[in-house]
Amino acid sequence: MAERNLDSVKKIREAVSQDLLGGRISQVLGWEKGHYWWQSRPLFARSEADLEKLTWDSFCVINLSRYLLEELKDHEKVGVLVKGCDARAFNRLLQDNMVKREQVILYGLPCPGMLDYNRLCEEAGAVPDGIVENNGTVVLKTDGGEKEVQREDIMLDKCRECVYPDPAAYDQMLLSPQGEREAAERFKPVEELEELPADERFAYWEKELSRCLRCYACRQACPFCSCRECFVEQENPRWQGRAYQPSENFMFHLVRAYHGTGRCIDCGECERSCPVDIPLQELNRKLIKDINELYGDYEAGLDAEAEPPLLTYRPDDPAAFSEK
Amino acid sequence: MKKIIAREKLPELWKSLSELGPLFLPVQEGPVVLFQPWQEGAETNLDTTNTAVPPKDLFLPREETYMQYRCKGKELEVIPAEEVKPAVLFGVHPCDLYAVEMLDKVYMEQDPPDELYKKRRENTTIVALSCASPDPFCFCNDFDVNPAEAPGTDVMAQLKNGSVLLEAKTDKGKALLEQAGDLLEDGSGEEFARREVKTADFNLKLDGLPEDLKNRFEDPVWDELFKSCLGCGVCTYVCPTCYCFDVEDFGHEAGGERFRCWDSCMYGHFTEMAGGHNPRPGRKERVRQRFMHKLRYYPETFGQIACVGCGRCLRSCPVNLDIVQAIQALGGETVEQR
Repeated sequence: MAERNLDSVKKIREAVSQDLLGGRISQVLGWEKGHYWWQSRPLFARSEADLEKLTWDSFCVINLSRYLLEELKDHEKVGVLVKGCDARAFNRLLQDNMVKREQVILYGLPCPGMLDYNRLCEEAGAVPDGIVENNGTVVLKTDGGEKEVQREDIMLDKCRECVYPDPAAYDQMLLSPQGEREAAERFKPVEELEELPADERFAYWEKELSRCLRCYACRQACPFCSCRECFVEQENPRWQGRAYQPSENFMFHLVRAYHGTGRCIDCGECERSCPVDIPLQELNRKLIKDINELYGDYEAGLDAEAEPPLLTYRPDDPAAFSEK
Repeated sequence: MKKIIAREKLPELWKSLSELGPLFLPVQEGPVVLFQPWQEGAETNLDTTNTAVPPKDLFLPREETYMQYRCKGKELEVIPAEEVKPAVLFGVHPCDLYAVEMLDKVYMEQDPPDELYKKRRENTTIVALSCASPDPFCFCNDFDVNPAEAPGTDVMAQLKNGSVLLEAKTDKGKALLEQAGDLLEDGSGEEFARREVKTADFNLKLDGLPEDLKNRFEDPVWDELFKSCLGCGVCTYVCPTCYCFDVEDFGHEAGGERFRCWDSCMYGHFTEMAGGHNPRPGRKERVRQRFMHKLRYYPETFGQIACVGCGRCLRSCPVNLDIVQAIQALGGETVEQR
């Protein structure tokens, strides 16, 4: 079992139950435990009994904001628990006019970073029976005994590289802030790829993308992929062939990445969702890096009021449209 | 016929077998293990638990050509699909082989059979590998699969103290072992270790579930179960018993191709009609379809539930919505927090 932070869970339940039972919202999006202690899955709570299942632990990785696209069709106003990345995802949807701010109550949960099941197993040398979290360290319990490891070492990559674990948007902040994180390494894989000659880069992506099943989990988990109809499904014109050709895999992933330029909030849900572990975040980070270099530092989703670099139009744009 | 080979000599065996045709076996591909055709220097991994994707694409390729055509002015040349070459599938786990037998019922044991599938299936020699250390997502014990045995295989294999013990179970299997010749040593004195391999057991109550579901198309369970579904196709593509495909045309002025490729009932376009009507308009209808197919429609037609407990949907669903959760929600359960 993963020890739940009972004080935090209690606090969260109290806050959301006031709004839910008081009728301010008709549903809360949170997490409940799955089959295993290292899995938490989305919870759609509408009653006191549902709230009993609500959890907050080191496995609440699933980004909940995206569910608003569907849930707001059936509910006038809902509450959502948001970590740093979920809050940036919310801002993404807000900027894309997919949700209205007044339809949602955001409960901010500063995030300590979520843990990686595979790393837990590697460190423990087996599937642990459970863990106990201390301040900055985690004790892995196995049949063979206990092992204490640094929390940072068993976090998901996407969480290790997260710069903004605190929610950038919230109505109520429920726990104490974590503060900005140092994540100088997040562009390192991109920089390494940039160093390679073009043909080697192509070969790298050809190999990585050859595993793609085109299950579209990356797209479905993504807060910037909120189009009602994706280009992939459009019949006329048919942009995306259904064949499993390398060119079709490139077509899908590159077009998707370009659609996320200046919009990707770097939550890494695409890469986490990929069943064959394609390093998709490297594509998105390349474009985040390019945007930073071309238009000045910009962190999508951090500030819903800030002008997104590629999503604004001004008749008096100071830059020339072409070099002519 | 029993044969044995030291593990360090396996690359020689791979080389010899691959001369017959493509040899598919678990290969480390970056961070995941997948069934891939063997090549010199391939990083094979027989100790892996289930591969990320099942080997169903050997018989039902992700993309498969029916025919191609070329046009030159008014001349039309039709090029039939390439002949299917003999292949070897080495190291498939019993659960995945049980699943292949479920696909056989769909594609081969009906009239008429699916010729392409049948050819691939008949042209493939299967070496099943007894599964010694299931991962925590495996729950084949719930389906009475013994991970140590695979009744339908051509050759049964077991890893044994630095060696691999092989036993031919069919003539095809015998021919395969003979092909390897002197690389294999006589194993007649060796015994397969008898073992009961324990996997996770969710204690699912499956008896009577297909029958029970007959009247539960409008059950309120469906109104809740689908909510976390993202609408991606991971579960269907990593599922060894999912087998749907779509037929597509690709054409240009000089020629074209008709092919089939994997498709998923979790996608909106799967049931979209010309004119735009969609009988399964949302995630609820699609999630219901998938689980009903596994738990009711397939059993109605073929007499068994279309799941082998390989655990891939438990491992790979991005939001942890899987068949165990569905069965539990439908009442075939004993819920216990693990």
